[in-house]
Amino acid sequence: MPASGGDPRQEGVSPAALAAGDTPPEAHDHGFPAHPSKPMEIACGAFAVLVSIVLVWQARAVEVRAETGGIDPRWWPELLGLVGTALGAFLLVRAVVRPALERDDVQEATHQGRVRAVVAIVLSALYVATWPVVGFLVVTPVFLVAATYLFGGRGWRTLVLFPAGMTAFIYLLFVTALKVPL
Amino acid sequence: MNADAVAEGISALLDPTVGIGMLIGLLVGTLVGIFPGITGSMAVALASGFTLTLEPVQGLAVLLTIYVGANYGDRIPSILVNTPGTPAAIATTLDGYPMARQGRAGLALVSSSMVTTAGILVSMLLFLFAARPVAQLALEFGPAEMFSLVVFGLTIMVSISSKSVVKGLLAGLAGLAIATVGRDPITGDSRFVYGINDLNSGLPFIAVIIGLFGIAELFDQLLVHRAHIVKPISSLGRWWPTRSEYRQMARPFGVSSIIGMVVGAVPAAGGDIAGLIGWDRAKRMSKEPEKFGKGSLEGLTAADTAASATLGGALTTTMALGIPGDSVMAVMIGSMIIWGLQPGPSLFSNSPDLVISIAGIMVVAAVVSLVVSLVRTRGIVRLLDLPNHYLWVGILLFCIVGTYTTSNNVYTVWVMLISGVVGVVMKRTGFPPGPVVLGLLLGPLAEANLRRALLIDGPGILVTKPISAGLLLLALLALGAPLLAHARRARRGRRAAPEVAGRTSTPTKR
Repeated sequence: MPASGGDPRQEGVSPAALAAGDTPPEAHDHGFPAHPSKPMEIACGAFAVLVSIVLVWQARAVEVRAETGGIDPRWWPELLGLVGTALGAFLLVRAVVRPALERDDVQEATHQGRVRAVVAIVLSALYVATWPVVGFLVVTPVFLVAATYLFGGRGWRTLVLFPAGMTAFIYLLFVTALKVPL
Repeated sequence: MNADAVAEGISALLDPTVGIGMLIGLLVGTLVGIFPGITGSMAVALASGFTLTLEPVQGLAVLLTIYVGANYGDRIPSILVNTPGTPAAIATTLDGYPMARQGRAGLALVSSSMVTTAGILVSMLLFLFAARPVAQLALEFGPAEMFSLVVFGLTIMVSISSKSVVKGLLAGLAGLAIATVGRDPITGDSRFVYGINDLNSGLPFIAVIIGLFGIAELFDQLLVHRAHIVKPISSLGRWWPTRSEYRQMARPFGVSSIIGMVVGAVPAAGGDIAGLIGWDRAKRMSKEPEKFGKGSLEGLTAADTAASATLGGALTTTMALGIPGDSVMAVMIGSMIIWGLQPGPSLFSNSPDLVISIAGIMVVAAVVSLVVSLVRTRGIVRLLDLPNHYLWVGILLFCIVGTYTTSNNVYTVWVMLISGVVGVVMKRTGFPPGPVVLGLLLGPLAEANLRRALLIDGPGILVTKPISAGLLLLALLALGAPLLAHARRARRGRRAAPEVAGRTSTPTKR
């Protein structure tokens, strides 16, 4: 099954309807498909070209112990970079001259959603950075309280019992049952 | 397969820890299926972090049971709230939800569980009888054929998982390029290591997989979530089908079983595609096609049978050829490699007992899932009310801790987090993650075999060996088919446009 999906609760049943070429009964339209974006498509093409050129450049700079020439350790990544450059250039040209692709397989992000996702990434990074310094048992409950609050949890049961229970469960599962140090 | 291997494979399942692993997998799989937005591949990626410390059979018991369990749980929200629990249950909504609205939710849930079990069991026959011959054929493959096989798997995944073939190809190339980090597979020279010791053994692919399939999906849900309440249908009505309803289900079951097995065997194609094809075929063959989409038991049977019958086909392709049959299997291959098992033809000669254990786990998991879903469905339905914040926090913590436990090194967690951010950007810009993972897993195999083939026999060998040429031709067709279909649609659209314009302009002229 495809890994994609997002939250289908917000997609209603439109993917099914589209894929089946049929209109499903009683379709509830909760979905807000993302808008096509020409600048985004152009940025994708330009980024692909840039990364592929860097790959070719870095592949040529690989140092090998025995110079044999031809099909050596540089050959494969360089080939990938060259093919990537060609495909990226095609994507870029296509993005410039043709209308942007439909994006009905992803939902439009909300302002609140962007804030939530960025704060979640920053929180996770802080958690990972402080874990080795202060220890799992100290930093995990704090991280869980902050994350639960960020995701909309309120009330003392949600903000105290849940983080404490979750930390204890993870600790018992790994350290006690699976003998994995945390 | 000799009797000793069969006996060893079955006796491995009698270990109580395997039973515990299956119970955990069943619980997790069912929960994963119930909560929309959490896919089977995400759950297996997450669980792979936990199972690496277990023995292969114990770990496979957990992962395969999640795979099976998700196929039961995902039908519940499809039927009760018109929302597929995983993409594999998309087609279930077409007739499952209308049945529930007509007061036949209980019948839909029970029928769905029964045909799902039967579909999985029938598809396991394919695994038991076809996997070994396919693996034996693949044992004859030389470097040229192996390279062409990887190219074939990658192009199929690109053509299925992406709207834009070019973006899919670029995603596959990115995976192949990431796989070149570390030691060269032939000479052992370091590439793209930049003095960082951790990079010598390449990027940790379990961390990349958890990032791309697990945390990226979570970040995407955080981005798009809008609060709204969907009340599940609470009146379940009668549970068991009558004799005439069983008869009604027989024909769509037969047709969809075959469709599911064939689609499942195609690399990267899964239950979502099979379910829709099965539903469509059953509608065309039905005596009452007008009832499809309005609460037809035949439609529900066809969709769920086809989706579940993909499991055996996907398992066959994965274990016999080493090419993932679907995205869950791509993740599973990652775990198996960590355990020192290389799925593919050699698995059948090196570990025949494990192949039997895998088949046994699938069969037992399907039967136990049926019993649980028949007995506990009423209780499971209540879980649909669980607030999102518990779910999201749980996923986030399990992604981080699960990744850490794969190496006891925070570096791995950073790789996972960065992969997650890259994954969500990819998802939102239309680059599919599947080809990246496939490229990452199969990159060393593709590179080593291509270089060997070229060094030994020259480039002509790729097209002069019949199997290699055939696989490359199929790869070209896989890439060309979506492009041709797109061109045909565009031509039809251009032709229709003047007609529509002509029709709409007529009243103005008057």
